[in-house]
Order: sequence, then structure tokens, then C-alpha cells
Amino acid sequence: MLELRGVSKLYAGIPAVNSLSFSARPGEVTGYLGPNGSGKSTTMKMITGLLELSAGQILFDGQPIQEDLIAYKRRMGYVPEEPYLYNHLSGVEYLTMVAQLRGLPSRESAERIEGLLRLLSLHDDRHASISGYSKGMRQKVLIVAALLHNPDLLLLDEPFSGLDVGSALVLRQLIKELAARGKVVLFSSHELDTVERVSSRVVILHKGKIVADDSIERLRSLMELPSLEAIFSQLAVEQDPSSTARQIANLIHA
Amino acid sequence: MRDALRKLAERLPLEFRVLYRQFLLRVIDLESLSIEADIPRFLGQFAGVLILIGVFPSLGLLIVSGRPHLALDVLSGMAMHYEQSFLAGSMLMAGLAAVATWDSIFPDRRDVMVLGPLPVRPRTVLAAKVVSSASLLCIGVLALNCGMGIVLPLLTGGIAHFPRMFAAYWFTALAASMFIYGAVLTIQGVTAALLPRRWFLRLSAILQLATFALFLSVWVFQPSFGTVEELAKAQRLGVLTRWPVFWFFGLFNETSGILPISSGSLAPLACLALAAVLAGAGLSLLLCYVRTMKKTVEQPDLEPVRGQRRGLLPVGDQLQTAIVRFSMRALARSRQHRLVYAFFLATAFSIAVSTLTKVATSHRAEPVTPGFLVSTLMMMCLAVAGLRSIFSLPVSLKANWVLQVTQLSAPEHYIAATRRAMLVLATIPVWLTAAGLALCYRPWHQALEHLLILALAGSIMTDAALIGVSKIPFSCSYLPGKANVQYVFWAFAAGFMPLAMSFSRYEQSVLDDPLSYAALVGILMAAAAELWFVNQRRAKAAVLYYEDVEPEVITTLSIGTWYANGRDASADRGNLLNVSKPMEESALGNES
Repeated sequence: MLELRGVSKLYAGIPAVNSLSFSARPGEVTGYLGPNGSGKSTTMKMITGLLELSAGQILFDGQPIQEDLIAYKRRMGYVPEEPYLYNHLSGVEYLTMVAQLRGLPSRESAERIEGLLRLLSLHDDRHASISGYSKGMRQKVLIVAALLHNPDLLLLDEPFSGLDVGSALVLRQLIKELAARGKVVLFSSHELDTVERVSSRVVILHKGKIVADDSIERLRSLMELPSLEAIFSQLAVEQDPSSTARQIANLIHA
Repeated sequence: MRDALRKLAERLPLEFRVLYRQFLLRVIDLESLSIEADIPRFLGQFAGVLILIGVFPSLGLLIVSGRPHLALDVLSGMAMHYEQSFLAGSMLMAGLAAVATWDSIFPDRRDVMVLGPLPVRPRTVLAAKVVSSASLLCIGVLALNCGMGIVLPLLTGGIAHFPRMFAAYWFTALAASMFIYGAVLTIQGVTAALLPRRWFLRLSAILQLATFALFLSVWVFQPSFGTVEELAKAQRLGVLTRWPVFWFFGLFNETSGILPISSGSLAPLACLALAAVLAGAGLSLLLCYVRTMKKTVEQPDLEPVRGQRRGLLPVGDQLQTAIVRFSMRALARSRQHRLVYAFFLATAFSIAVSTLTKVATSHRAEPVTPGFLVSTLMMMCLAVAGLRSIFSLPVSLKANWVLQVTQLSAPEHYIAATRRAMLVLATIPVWLTAAGLALCYRPWHQALEHLLILALAGSIMTDAALIGVSKIPFSCSYLPGKANVQYVFWAFAAGFMPLAMSFSRYEQSVLDDPLSYAALVGILMAAAAELWFVNQRRAKAAVLYYEDVEPEVITTLSIGTWYANGRDASADRGNLLNVSKPMEESALGNES
């Protein structure tokens, strides 16, 4: 289980996230939602160990991750929000490098890379330079890199970004399948419809603080709202969308 | 003057000024820089190196010319030699600047895609590109010639003819630089226009390196003549017409009237060549405007690749193999890295070729010479220093997250992998080249003995270059100016070269003396082992870093020291008013 206890991150004294506490359990997909700038990616980076915590603790299977960060990284797979990759490598070279850095046996990793690329329809372009890849192709490389070592914890930050419909459907089913096989999945996305279909629980973040942490069903019944979108709008959207849209149109027109 | 320039600049279109500023700083890839990077300081350092290169010989010439009883022909010979070498230097500098800004001369895909949708005319983009590259060239020519450009006209023309000599010198230097710059522009522009875009992109990298090697080789091998007689003889034999530097030397001669002999066809040749490349450059720009920029947009995003070449051998454990292959690919595929390393390698290659040429002209195997010994040591030093310097240039800072997320081993393993990369990419290839060159020397045992010493020297240089380096190659942000290029340059010229020469002389003397040789090997082995152990010890406590930052400097006013020395601190503890009083007294005391 992944557990955050009072986690805060301050940039020049200004809190990006403030005293976050929630947990993600094995066998379920935890949706992590929030408007832009609410601190989702900061939280994800802290969970991966890329960012240091200003306060609090992150535990995985009861152990603080900083206690043995290397052992923790062995069990974690991460799809970052931005598809930053080494452009001078080809897709297969990049993935081989990741497999080598993770210490995976070369034959096994080569077979796994080959298979995953084929299943994600990237096999034909595996030897082309990443610099020529589209956003969706880069996203697929990131997904393969995160899955290569069969991680126990999967952190997905906007994993559907740039994916075509077919690949998005595959990924949606894959997330469910991985959770059903006992993996901890923390999944952040702006696509509320997808989150509603995939996640069993959601954590909603607003201005660096948690405003909701429960199952979608329970939130629906508690708030007496029909959908996750309505719940999210009530909890984390301050503007009236139609009024703001009208104001924008008026401003351009003027 | 400054106001006039400002007013002139303000009359230029705003879009041009904005783009010019952007392109001028794009010589360095801004995305690879450290957060504390200071580009003007970095460019200032390079200008500083050029100024130093130019000013020292000028001062030397000035001092020598002041000597009493100096024969006029000696002074004239020196002036001729310096004029030739500064012309050659200006041409080399222009060539290197043109090659270094190869990608910046014409708008690339990023420029076209970013600026295309904006209401900016393509000709404004093109003009800003060319003017920014040309500005760098002008700064280089000015920095290199700022000393000699005044001293030489003054000494050769005196006060009376100074204006003519001065004008001739600067006109020739600029014409020679423009010739080289225009030639590069022509080659690149015509190739881009004639070839399909995909072929051009593939050929462009090879062309860039080939041009680079050509400029450096010409600079190394072109002759120099110190007397009028030598020059006249070379002209009769047709040697001068083969080397472009003498075309422009002829132009200088014609415009300044410095030599008593006619330069014959050299000056017209220079004018013709200059006119040809300027026309070619103009045509290239026109073609780029009409055709290449459109082709850049039409270029497909993804090019099909049939298969991958296999056969890359593992070079250690999995982690080491991953880091070494990553380094090899970064070096092979990143133009910026390849070019910087090519500068060091081409210099080393020139040394190797000149060594080989000397042996080839003797037509028989010789005992090892100090020249061979010193050249192999210099090759090793250049390769290691070159690779170490480009290890600091990142390929993509934003993609480093993957190295951080997958850091599953202790930092010492990564540092060992970095050392392995240095050995595979610099030390071992140079050693193998030296082993190839050693085949030309007899007896065998001398060559083999030197190869052992070279291997130890390579190990020492590798470990010395990696002291305090706790990073993965090509992954840490770059802090221009931190390396203090001018100090490194002079340390190499004034420090390493004399040391290598003395060492080589000593080495040659011990090659046939087993006891002394064993002692030398023993000392080198001890030094290599010590350095290796030092790095091992440091690596155990190291933390890998990805951001290069300036060391924090704390400036103190030494008030505390004074206070501790000048007063009984315990007597005044807690009474701050007492602190200010002696300070005032001290200040008054100093004034009195």
C-alpha cells in the first residue's frame, strides 16, 4: 500500500501542496484529480523520489520510501506528465537502456520490449529516432518503460495524453487489469469520464489541499450528484464555466 | 559613437532586432544550460582567448623591433611571417566559426515551425540569421587581430604610411574571413538546394565534420615564408597559388605595397575567389528563401528505418554497458557534442599525421624519437581533455528524470561507468592509434616499452580528469565559463607541453636502460594506482548530481577576526554597542 502522511512541499516558502494524507491500496485504482496548478504533478514527483519533501512522510508497504529509495524504485513504474525522452535514441534503444539501468536480464527484457512495442503498435517505428515520434508515440514509449520491470506500484500522470482512441481503450483496460492483479495504481488525469470508468477511489486536490478522498459511489451519494464531473466542479472549480466563457468572448469581441 | 550606433539600430525593423538577439545567443543550445549559466561571460572568455593569442605576438614584435642594430630584412621577414600567420589564423577562425554555427546559418525546422505562423517575413528571419552569424565572425576577427592590426601597420608603414597599411591589413583580414565564411555558406546552401531534404540532413553532418577537418588540416600543413627570396622562389614553383592564404597575402601586398616584388596573379585570384563565394553565398540565400524553407516544412516528421545494426559488444556489466552506449550514441548523434570533440580529435589527428609524415619521408624504420613520444602523449591528453569537456554538455536535461527514477545502484557504480566510457571513447582509441604508429619504429622493445608508459599515462590522465566528477556523461546541466577556458588553454600550452617534452626526452633516455625504465614504470604505476584509489574513495561518499551550480562564495569583512584579536570577546559579550565603538576608533586610526 502507498501511504502519504502529512506531506507538504514548499517552493521559496510558498506551499505547492499542504499536509496531504491519503493512501492507495493494492487491487484498486486510485484516481488523483485536481485543476491545473493544484499540485498533482508535484505530488507524483515526490512519490517517485524526484522531489524532496518539505514535511511529512511517504510509505510503501509500511516502509518510508526514503529509508531505502533504491529498493523502492525497483518496485515502482512511472509515466510522467510531460513526454521528456532522449531524442537522439531510437525507441528500442531508449527502452533497452531503461531495462539495463533497471538491471533486467537482457534476453528477457529484449523479448518484453519487442512484445510490448508490437502490442502498442509501435513495432514498425522502433528503430526510428524518438525526435521524429508524435506525442502519442512518445507516450507509448513512456508506458512501456514504466511497465518493463513488472512494477508493484504504478504512478500514471496523465497517461492518456496524446494517445489515439484505440490505444487509449487498451490502456484503460490495462490499468484495470493491472489493479486486478494486485498492483497499486495511482492515476492522475483531467479526463474525468475515464477516471470515473477506471478508478474505484478518487482523491481530489484543490490549491494544494485534499478536498475529497473516498470511493466514487460514496461521493455521489454523499453529495447527491450524478457524476464525477459534477462532484469535481463543485469541489474544485471556482469559476462558473458559462459565465467565464461569455466574458472571454466579450473581451475578444471588444 | 555609441549613440549613433543605437540610433542606427533603432531604425532597423523591430522584428529583425528581436530575432537577431535571439539567434546571436543560439550558438549555444540554451536548453542545455545550467540555471546559473552566464552566456556573455562564456563568449567573453572565448574572445579573451583570441585577444590573448593576438596580443602576445604583437607585443613580441614590438619588443624585438625596439632592439638597436636590428637588421631591416630581419624585421621585414618577421612582419611577413606574422602577416601570413595572422591571415591564416583569421581564416581558420572564420572557418571554425562557420562550422560551429553550421546549423544556425540557415533557418532550421524549429525556426520555420515557430516563426512560420507569426507575421514575420521569411526574408527578415533569413537576414537576422545571417547577420547574427556574421556578427560572431566579426567579433572573432576583431578580437584576434586587435593587437597585430595596429602593431604591424605601425612598424611596416611608420607614421606616414600607417593609414594605408592599417586599411590594407584590415581589408585583407576581413576579405579572407569573408571568403571562408562565404565558401561554407555556398557549400551548405547549394547542397541543401540540390539534394532531397532527407539526404541533405544525413550528408550535412558529414559535410560539417569534413569541412572542419579540411580547415584544420590546411592550417597545419600550409607553408610559411620568412624572406622575400623564399617567397619569390615559392611563387616561381607555383606553391603560392595552391594555398588560399597566399592569395590574400598577395592582396595585402598589392594594397599595402609592402613587398618589393609583385604578387603576380595572387591578388586577382583572391578577388576572383572572393567574388565567386560572395555570389555563391547570395545564390544560396536566395535558394534558401525560395526553396529550402518550404522543403523544411514539407519534411515528414517520422522517417522509416528498416533495421538496426547489431554487433555492439557489452563493455562491462549492464549498468556500464548502458552508460557507455548512451555516451557513444550521444557523441555520434548530437552535432554539438560531435563538433566540440572533433576539434580535439582533429588536433590529435593532425599530430598523428605529421608524426607519420616525418617517418614516411625517412623511408626506413627508425628508433623511437622524442617527437613520436611527445606526440602520442599530447594525443592522449587532447582526447581525454576533449571528452571530459563534452561530458559536461547535456543532451537533454528534461529527459534526465529517467536516470534519476532508475537509479537502483550506488553512485560509485555510475561513476565507474563514467570512467569506463572515458576509457572506451578516448583512452583506448588513442592508445590503439599510438600502437599503430609504433609499428613504424624499431627496435620493437622500445615501441612496446613506450606503449606501456602511454597506457599508464592514459590511466593517470583519465583518473585526473574525473576527480570530483560525480555525474553521468551528458546528463548534467552546463555552466558556461566555469571551466575557465583561457586558463586551461594557457595551462596546456605553457604547462603540459613543456612537461611532456621534458618527460619524453627522459623517457627516450631510459628506454634502453632496464633499471631506470623499471623505476619510471613503477612511479607511473604508483601514481595511477593512487589516483584510482582517490577516485574510488570519493565515489563511495559521492552523490550523483544533475545540476551544475557555482560554488557559494562568502565574502567576509573580517570584522569577527578583528574583534576576536583586538578585544577580549568575553568582556563585551552581549553588549552590541561596545562592538561599534572600536570599529569607529579603528577606522579613525587607519585614516590618521
